[in-house]
Amino acid sequence: MSKGFATNRLSLLAVGVVMCFMTVAVRLVYLQAVDRDELLRFVDKARRQIVVEHARRGAILDTRGNLLATSRSELAVAVDPWSLVEYLEIEKNPARRAQRAAEERTKHARLAELLGLPVADVEKAFVPAMRAVKPEDDTRDGKVDGRVKDRWVKLCEGVDEPTFDQITALNVRGVTHERIYRRVYPGGGLAAHVIGYLNREGTAVAGAEHKLDLYLKGQDGWIESEKDGARRELAQFRSREVPAQDGDDVVLTIDSVVQQIIENELKNIGATYQPQFATIIASDPMTGAILGMANYPSFDLNAYNKAPLAAQRNFAVTDIIEPGSVFKIVAAGAALNEGVVTPQSTFDCGITTIDYEGRTIKLPKEDEPFGLLSVADIVAHSSNRGAAQLAMRLGDERFYEYARRYGFGETTAFALGGEVRGILEPPAKWDGLTISRMPMGHSVAATPLQVHMAMSAVANGGVLLRPQIIKEIRDNNGAVVRRFGPEKRATVLRPSTAATLAQLLTGVVRVGTAKGFDIPGFEVAGKTGTTQILVDGKYSTTHHVASFVGFFPASRPEIVLSVIVDDAHVPNGGTAYGRVVAAPAFKHIAEQLIQYLDIKPVMPNPGRFLAMQGGAR
Amino acid sequence: MKPPPAHAFVNRLIGLTLVLLIFSGSLGLGAVWMRQEISQAANRGRLLEGKMADVERRLDEVNAQVAAAVNPDALLRQNQAMQLGLLSPREIQVVRVGESPELRLAAKRNREVFNVATASISDEANPLAFHVLTTALR
Repeated sequence: MSKGFATNRLSLLAVGVVMCFMTVAVRLVYLQAVDRDELLRFVDKARRQIVVEHARRGAILDTRGNLLATSRSELAVAVDPWSLVEYLEIEKNPARRAQRAAEERTKHARLAELLGLPVADVEKAFVPAMRAVKPEDDTRDGKVDGRVKDRWVKLCEGVDEPTFDQITALNVRGVTHERIYRRVYPGGGLAAHVIGYLNREGTAVAGAEHKLDLYLKGQDGWIESEKDGARRELAQFRSREVPAQDGDDVVLTIDSVVQQIIENELKNIGATYQPQFATIIASDPMTGAILGMANYPSFDLNAYNKAPLAAQRNFAVTDIIEPGSVFKIVAAGAALNEGVVTPQSTFDCGITTIDYEGRTIKLPKEDEPFGLLSVADIVAHSSNRGAAQLAMRLGDERFYEYARRYGFGETTAFALGGEVRGILEPPAKWDGLTISRMPMGHSVAATPLQVHMAMSAVANGGVLLRPQIIKEIRDNNGAVVRRFGPEKRATVLRPSTAATLAQLLTGVVRVGTAKGFDIPGFEVAGKTGTTQILVDGKYSTTHHVASFVGFFPASRPEIVLSVIVDDAHVPNGGTAYGRVVAAPAFKHIAEQLIQYLDIKPVMPNPGRFLAMQGGAR
Repeated sequence: MKPPPAHAFVNRLIGLTLVLLIFSGSLGLGAVWMRQEISQAANRGRLLEGKMADVERRLDEVNAQVAAAVNPDALLRQNQAMQLGLLSPREIQVVRVGESPELRLAAKRNREVFNVATASISDEANPLAFHVLTTALR
């Protein structure tokens, strides 16, 4: 290497390198110190983004794991017509531009076919347009004239994923989309009043959706990161990430098949009797678990916005009725439990007045004339005067106390809420006739669920349970995070008294007011009820609440079933008695539940001829 | 000792500078390469997350479709549409089997296998062979 190279050229190189470094250093100082704040603001605005990750709402399942409510993604497909314009303008060759435009038009026709829209509508959406905005918001296109390019022209909502895949495959220029989660109810109207629904804004409106929203909704997460010029996330610059926590799944005690059976029966009742409303409840007496709860009229959860508000009420808990003769289980149970009577004790039910606490009280009318009746007969034949005399044996206070123990006059603590307390006035507010009218179910009002749970207490050995509608809560991995068990509210009767009363109630279908509605081998125990409805302050003779509330088999109850029909219109103008309107429905449902739940008969039932095994429970 | 000539020192300096430049350049390129890898890995992760979310979405879609298809009401409609005439049994049609069906089937199979049909049924005094063969099924 020559000396000249080592001196002149090297010095030149050294100076050059130093100058380069100096330039870089100056630029760095300028960027890092002088313009730092402004540049940071610009970068922050241009590149930083916070992406919210929406949590998936939990599902609602029935007791066997069938989906009752779930979330499904749907897409709103829209068009950015300016995007197509820009795409075509890039091509400077007129022939090729025309060819591109023709290709896009062909795609538009296919797009219209996929979306089920007229081609003209789709073509119209691709016509570029401006839209008015507030001048202070007009910062997008550089001109402050209160008008910006309209880059979102909605084409269609509710597009499913498979259809959208086909749209994506078309690669139509300018088509854009927004993905939203929509609640779907695979059963349509199945258990509509229990499940409730989410409205279009995503607000839980009623039922389990509303009451268990805290479990179901989960928690949204978010990602703080940067985006590139095409607004794509630069994942390597994620600075903070909070994962979304999906909502928990809620498992109800409802059994879809039981629910379907009772809803079908309600449809039959609706078609035959056109009632104001009707309610059927089925539950397990030992746990209080509600297997089915349905109302007429009902509605489709997927089309809730078309349903009248009246059809959205869960009559089983929101409305009160006079329980009628079903309430006689209070007087009979209390008198037996207190030992003031035995099933064989007799009462003269032919008398019209009776002396009670120094007063002569007029007894209520009977549907048919009775004479001397035992307690068993009073229950079986539903004697109003007999029930009144049973209550009088107890006295005002004790009778009232038992009515309270049966759960009347207070809410059942139904987990989905919306229920009313009913009406049960204390003896201090009674008039002279109340002690003779309340035992037959007048002067008291209760929700169908209260009546149902009262009968359930007789079935399970005298314990009033809280109606159970939520079975468990599961996290999104399927692990149970909370389990709901039976909850005792009160002891109503001794087990022996409850068993005696259950046997007396079997008389109702064997020899009493619902004779002929027994199911051989299954010891149906129940009570009919027929209550006149108060119209303009007077009991109507043409409007009735018909009910049949019972359970089976009486000696080891497995199902409690209530059928309550308000203001049924019996064909040919007959009276809507419980035995006419409700008892047949009870029997029809019970026969199906016996097969579905594989309820074994209590006693051998001769006459079987075909080997067949019912559905396993 | 004779001091080294000035140009030799400068040459060494140039050499060292070049080495330093190559070294720092390599470091810089390595850093760029590493950032590129980080970026690609992050983007791959993001894509996978997107795919997982997509699969979950489709799973939900399928689950909803399955639930709608096996809904009792839908099945009843299918029953009518396909004219299958399926009905739930009535009590009079049902005979409930008290014994274990597994044991009964095992006994039948044993009789066929060991050809002891008559003996195992009729010889009530000595049913041990049958019990030994079927205990595993309990």
